[in-house]
Amino acid sequence: MIFSELYSVYYRTVAKILSLVVTAETTEKDICRQISENAFSESVLTILPAFKEEKWQLLDRELTTSILHEPTMPLTLLEKRWLKAIMEDPRIKLFDVQMEGLEDVTPLFTAADYKVFDKYTDSDPYGDEAYIRNFKLVTEAIRTRRPIRITMTNRNGKEVWVRCFPQRLEYSEKDDKFRIIAAGCRYSQFNLGRITTCEFYNGHGPWNEVPRENALREVVLEIVDKRNALERVMMHFAHFEKQAEKVDDLHYKVRIRYYENDETEIVIRVLSFGPYVKVIEPESFVNLIKERLKKQKECELV
Amino acid sequence: MAYSELVKNFDKIRAYMREFYVYGFKSRTEYDAKSARSYDDERRRIESWLGDYMRFTQTAEGKNVFLSVDNRVSQHNPFYKAWKAKSFTDRDITLHFIIFDILHDASVKMTLKEIIGVIDRDYLASFEEPMSLDESTVRKKLKEYIEEGLLLTEKEGRQVYYRRTEMTDLSSVQDALDYFSEAAPCGVVGSYLLDRLAADESIFSFKHHYITGTLDSDVMALLFDAMSKKSCVTVRNLNRRENEPKELQLVPLKIYISTQNGRQYLLAYREDLDRISSYRLDYLSAVRIGAVCEQFDALRATLCELEKHMWGVNCRLHAKHLEHVEFVVRVGGDEAFIVQRLAREKRCGMVEQIDETHYRFTAEVFDTMEMVPWIRTFISRITQFNFSNRTVENKLRDDLEWMYRMYGIDGGDEA
Repeated sequence: MIFSELYSVYYRTVAKILSLVVTAETTEKDICRQISENAFSESVLTILPAFKEEKWQLLDRELTTSILHEPTMPLTLLEKRWLKAIMEDPRIKLFDVQMEGLEDVTPLFTAADYKVFDKYTDSDPYGDEAYIRNFKLVTEAIRTRRPIRITMTNRNGKEVWVRCFPQRLEYSEKDDKFRIIAAGCRYSQFNLGRITTCEFYNGHGPWNEVPRENALREVVLEIVDKRNALERVMMHFAHFEKQAEKVDDLHYKVRIRYYENDETEIVIRVLSFGPYVKVIEPESFVNLIKERLKKQKECELV
Repeated sequence: MAYSELVKNFDKIRAYMREFYVYGFKSRTEYDAKSARSYDDERRRIESWLGDYMRFTQTAEGKNVFLSVDNRVSQHNPFYKAWKAKSFTDRDITLHFIIFDILHDASVKMTLKEIIGVIDRDYLASFEEPMSLDESTVRKKLKEYIEEGLLLTEKEGRQVYYRRTEMTDLSSVQDALDYFSEAAPCGVVGSYLLDRLAADESIFSFKHHYITGTLDSDVMALLFDAMSKKSCVTVRNLNRRENEPKELQLVPLKIYISTQNGRQYLLAYREDLDRISSYRLDYLSAVRIGAVCEQFDALRATLCELEKHMWGVNCRLHAKHLEHVEFVVRVGGDEAFIVQRLAREKRCGMVEQIDETHYRFTAEVFDTMEMVPWIRTFISRITQFNFSNRTVENKLRDDLEWMYRMYGIDGGDEA
C-alpha cells in the first residue's frame, strides 16, 4: 500500500531530469548532478546507463527526449487519504492550510483508530486562540529571522519577559508540547504553552546576552539481558546517538550521548529499568543514581 | 541476480534496518541470514541510502555496522529513504512518464487505442529497438493507476476514455507537512508529499522521537484501512518465543503508539480465543484485509471500556478481578514538580494528597507488571507499596535490594 515505485527516489530523479531536458539544453554532466543531488549515492551507476542503453525509453543516446511537458503526477489516493486524516487533527489549526478536493476522500485514519497511550496529559492547548496566534508569530519569526519578545509566568508566579531569536520549534511527542529553541538569550528553550504574550521585538538596545551552553554528555550503561532487558533498553533509548557492544552472552555495554539539559530525565529513565541496567561511567552519573538509591533507602519503605 | 540499490520486498530490509539501528552490535557472522552475500547486499543498500548515519566499529568478532542518529538534530526521519527504494521494471518507468505526458492535463482524455497509437508513433519510434508495449500491458498499467487514484475513466457510448485526476495545490501545506510527516501515524506519506514541493528547511525538530516505527508503516496503513472498512484481517505474527511466524485471523480495533518505549501495537479481537490482545506491529507482516466484521463497533466500544483499567496495552476481556496498585511518595516543600509529574503521568490512576508531604497514587489495572518501570522512576521518594499482586510487589522490593547491592549503598560491595 505504501511501498510503491510511484514515490521512489528514482522516479522523482527521472522527473527532475526530464524537466531539465524539456526546458533547456542538457548535458550528461547536468544529468549526473541531478542524480547526485536527488538520488542515492550509487544511483548514478544505474540511472545514467539505463538512459544511455535505452532501457528506459525516455531519453535517447543523444540525451534528447520525446517527452513534451515537465512531468507532473496527481496525488495518489493514499496521499489524499493521509492528508484528509491530518486535516481532521486538532493541531492543523496551527497552520494556515487551504486544501480543496478532499471532500469525498475517506481519511486513512481517525482519532478513534489510534491512541498515543503513554503521552503526558497536560498537552499544549492546540485549540486556544492565543496559543495559535503565538505559534504563528513564532513560525513567522523563524522564517524571517526576526527577534521576538515573550512574557511568561515563572515558577514563583512572577511575570517575566525575555527577548530572543527563535531558531526552531521542537515538538516532544511524550510531552505533546512545543518548545521554542532560541538564540541570543540566556535560556535556550521556552515552553510555548507557558507564554502569555508574544510579539516581534523592535527595540534597539544593546544585545549581549550569552546563552547557557547545553553540552553533549555521555553515559555508559551495562545491560543484563534478562526479561528481554536488552531489547527494551535498546528500543527505549533508540532515539539517542548511541553505540552498543556485546560483553558476553548475558551482558552488553551501551554508550549513549545526551544533552546536559536532559540529564535528570535520563537518570529516571535509567532507574526505570531497575537492576537490569547499571551505570558504569562517568562517576558523576553513577553518583546521581547512588544519591537517589540512598534517599530511597532512607524512606524505610513499608 | 546483479546487485541493485532498489528492493522489491520491504520485509527483509525492514529487519536489517531495525538490527543496525536498534542493536548495532552484531558482526557479519552473527547475522542468521541465509547467506553472507545477502548480508553484504543489504548492508550496501542501507549504506547507499543512509551513508551519513552509518557507523562502523572493529571488534574481535569482526566489523560491526550500525546506524546512529541524533533525532533532535534530524528534521526528517532518515529511514523514510528506505520507502523510496522500490524496484520497478524498464517498462514501468517508461510507461509511467509517457502516460502522464500524453495525459498531461485533466482536460485531455483518450481511449486505450489512442494512447497506444500515440506511444508507438510519438514516443518510442525514434529508439533503435523500440520497447514492445502490447495492449494488455498498457491496459494493466492504466488500471493500476485508476486504483491508485491517478487516473479516471469516462464512458461515452461504448468508448472508455482515460484522463488524469486534477492536480492539488500543496503550496499552503509545507509547514504542516514538515510537522505531521514526523508527528502523525504513517508520516512517510507526508514525506512523499514533501518530495513534491521545492526543498525548504523545516522549522521543526523533534524530541522523544522514535524513528523505527516507520518501518512498520505499511502494516499500519493496511490495518487502518481494515478499520475504516470495519473488516477482519489475516496477518502473520512472529511470537518472540517461537521461531516461525503464525497466521492469525484478527479484528483490528485500534493502534496503540508508545512515546516512551518506541513500540507500536495493534489491539485486536481474536475470535478463536474470545480475547482482545495486543500484537507488536514490528512482529506483524503480510496483512490481508478480509470480510466485514458485524461486531466491529461493539468490540471497539468494549475496548474503550477496558481502557479505564489499562496502564499499557494489556487487557482482559472477561476479567473477574482487577489488580489494585497503591504507592505513596514523599514530596518536599520545594518539589511541586513531583506533584505535577504524578498528575500528568497518572493515566488511569488517581492521585491524592494524604498529608503535607505525602501523596498517594492508586489504580485498578489488568496488569501491575506494566506499571513497574514507571513506579521505579520515583525511586528516592517511595515510602509505601501496597499491591494486590504480591508477586509483583515482592519483585519490586527485591529489585530495590539488588540495586542497593549493585551500587554498594550502605557500605555494601558493588556487584
